[in-house]
Amino acid sequence: MTRSIAEFRQDARAWLEANVPSEPAPPDGPESRAFVLGWQKTQAMGGWAGINWPKEVGGCGLSTLEQIVWFEEYARAGAPSVLNANFVSLNHAGPTLIACGTEEQKRYHLPRILGGEVIWCQGFSEPGSGSDLASLKTQGRVEGDELVINGQKIWSSFADIADWQELLIRTNPEAKTSGALSWVICPMHAPGVTVRPIRTMAGNFKYCQIFYDDVRVPLANVVGGLNNGWATAMSTLGFERGTASLALLIALNQQVETLLAACPASRPQMRARLGRLRAEGLGIRAMAYRFALESAESVPGEVGSMIRLAFAEFGQRVTAAAVDLYGIDAPEVVGLHGYAHDYFDAFSETIAGGTAEIQRNIIGERVLGLPKGAR
Amino acid sequence: VNFGLTEDQTSVLDGLEQLLASAAPPMPTEPTFAAYSEELDTALAEAGFLDIARQEGFGALDAALIVERLARLPHALEAGASSLVAPALDLAEGLRPIALVSGDPLKPARYLPMAKLLIVDQGDQAMAIDVDPANVESVETLFAYPYGRLRSLDGCNPRLINNSEALRRRWRMAMAAEAAGCMAAGLAAVLDHVKNRYAFGRPLGSFQAIHHRLAQAAETAESAKWLAFRAAWSDSEVDSAIAAAFVQSRTTQFTYDLHQFSGAMGLTIEFPLHLWSYRLRALAGELGGSSVQARAAAALAWPEAS
Repeated sequence: MTRSIAEFRQDARAWLEANVPSEPAPPDGPESRAFVLGWQKTQAMGGWAGINWPKEVGGCGLSTLEQIVWFEEYARAGAPSVLNANFVSLNHAGPTLIACGTEEQKRYHLPRILGGEVIWCQGFSEPGSGSDLASLKTQGRVEGDELVINGQKIWSSFADIADWQELLIRTNPEAKTSGALSWVICPMHAPGVTVRPIRTMAGNFKYCQIFYDDVRVPLANVVGGLNNGWATAMSTLGFERGTASLALLIALNQQVETLLAACPASRPQMRARLGRLRAEGLGIRAMAYRFALESAESVPGEVGSMIRLAFAEFGQRVTAAAVDLYGIDAPEVVGLHGYAHDYFDAFSETIAGGTAEIQRNIIGERVLGLPKGAR
Repeated sequence: VNFGLTEDQTSVLDGLEQLLASAAPPMPTEPTFAAYSEELDTALAEAGFLDIARQEGFGALDAALIVERLARLPHALEAGASSLVAPALDLAEGLRPIALVSGDPLKPARYLPMAKLLIVDQGDQAMAIDVDPANVESVETLFAYPYGRLRSLDGCNPRLINNSEALRRRWRMAMAAEAAGCMAAGLAAVLDHVKNRYAFGRPLGSFQAIHHRLAQAAETAESAKWLAFRAAWSDSEVDSAIAAAFVQSRTTQFTYDLHQFSGAMGLTIEFPLHLWSYRLRALAGELGGSSVQARAAAALAWPEAS
C-alpha cells in the first residue's frame, strides 16, 4: 500500500524529530567524515536514504515530489546541512552513475553511497583549467585493461576524507573535447594519489589539491564510455546545476524565516530586506520545484543554470543579511563556525560548478536562444 | 577645488613610504587568517606618523591620508583610532593601541588584545577604559583583525568622555579611510590576477563581463577614497556619516566582485585577498552598519525634516 504525500510528510516529520543529531557537524577532517557517514547510515537504517533513487540500488523508489517533501521536512527539523562531505556522493556522483553507469558500477557503488559507507569527491578543475574545463591536462594512458593517470586536480571538496572520486581526464590527446575525455571512478587510496588539503577563507579545510603519479585504475571504472567523458561530465554538471541545490535552497528559505522571526520591529529596513529575500526565495523555489519535477526521468537540462545562478546569488544575499542582522560582534557571527563562516563560504556559490558568468552565458545562448557575442 | 596634495602632505607620505620600505613586513608567505605586525606598529608610532593630527600645521586630513595608505598593507595596523579618534577627544598621547566598541563594553573589539585603552560609544555618552591585559580574552574570528573582549568590567573604572559626537565623527572618518585603503589594495591584487591569468586562451581580464564588474568596483574604491578624504578635510559630522554610509553600503558587493574574479584561489587563504576583504566585512558592520550611518547622514544634512 502506498502512502499519500500527506502521510509521507507526517512520517518524515516524526522520524526526523526523533533522529536529527543534536551535536553540531564538525567542519572538516576525519571527524567530519565520521559524522557525515554516521548520519547517512542512520537515515539508511530508518528507510530514508535515496528517496527518489531506484529500489534496485538501495533507494526508496519514490517520486521527486516525495524527495522534495523530504527536503522540506529535513530543513524544518534543522537537520545537518547537506552541503557536507557527502554532497558530491548524493547529488552528482550518484545521479551520474544512475544515468550513465554500467549495471555493475551501479550495483557496487550506489548501495555503498546510500548506506553511508563511502564518500565521493569531484576531480574536474585543475590549476590551469577552471571555467575552461575542456582545457584540462590530467592524462590517462591506456595500458592493457588499465588507465595510467598522471596530473593534478584542485578545488576538490573533502578529497582528503574521500574514498572515491569522479575524475575527468584526457584519454585521447589527439581528439577534440567531445572525444578526448573520460569520466573515471578513481579510488582515492590507490598508490600514486596524494592529497593536499587547502584551508578556505570560510575557515575550514574544505578544498584539496590532488596529485596523480602513475595511478592505475581499471578501464572498467570508466563511466559512460572511454573518450566519452565530456558527455558524462555534462550529465554531472546538469545534476550539479539543476537539482543538487534543491535541498540547499529549501534550507535557505527556512533560514530566511528564522531571520525574519529574529528581526525586531524596531529595524524596519532589515525587516523589509528580509521580506524581499523571502519573496526572492519563494520565486526561486517555485522555479526549482517545477524544474525538478519536469526532469525527474532525465538529466537536467540547461534551464538548470537559471536555478544554479539564482540560488547562488540568493545564498550570498541571505548569508550577508544574517551577518547584518546580528552584527559582526554577536555570538552568532563572530568566531569560525557561525554566520561569518556561512557568509564567506557562500562566496564560492557563484564560482563552483561553473561561474555565474558561465551560467549567464548558458542561459543567454541555450535557454533564451540569443546569438553568441563577444565576451 | 584642489585635489592635489600639499608639499607637506607629499613630504609626510614620502617619509611614510620610506619607513614602510624598511620596516613593513613582506606579504605573508604562509597561509594565514590575519596578519599583524607589532614591530611595524611600534616603528610607525615612534616616528610620529600616528600622532600627526596633533602636530602644528597638520590635522585630520593628513591623518586620514596615513590611515588609507596603511590599510593597503596586508597587515592590520591600529592607526584610525590613534591618529583620528584620540586627538579629537583630547586623550593623552602615546596611550595606544586603542580599541573601539559601540554599546556593550564587553563585546568583541578590534585590537583589544594589544590595546592600552578601550573607548566605548554608548550613544549619548562615551567612556574610556584602561585595559588590563589579564582582563582580555582573545576572540578567534574571520575578520583579519586581532579581536578580543573584556572578561569583566569589575575594577575597570571607566572615565566619562564628554564629546561622544566627536568620537562617532572621527570613528566614521577613520573607518571610511581604512575601508578605502582596503578597497584599493584588494582591487589592485585582483587586477593583477585577471591580467595574468588565462582562460579560453585569453587573459581573464579581456572578458567583457569582468570589465563591467571591475569597473564598478573601481568606481566604488575611488569614491570611497574621496569621500573619506572630504570627511577628513571638512571634519564635519555629516561628511563623516556620508563617507561611512557609502563604504559600508558598498562593501558587500565590492568584495563579491573582487573574489568572483580571483576564482577558487581567491576563496582560500593561500591568496591574500581575504586579508583585505575580511577587514572590509568587519568595518562594514561597525557602528551599527550602513543603515545607521545613512540615517545619521540624512538627519545631519536635513535636520528640519527628521
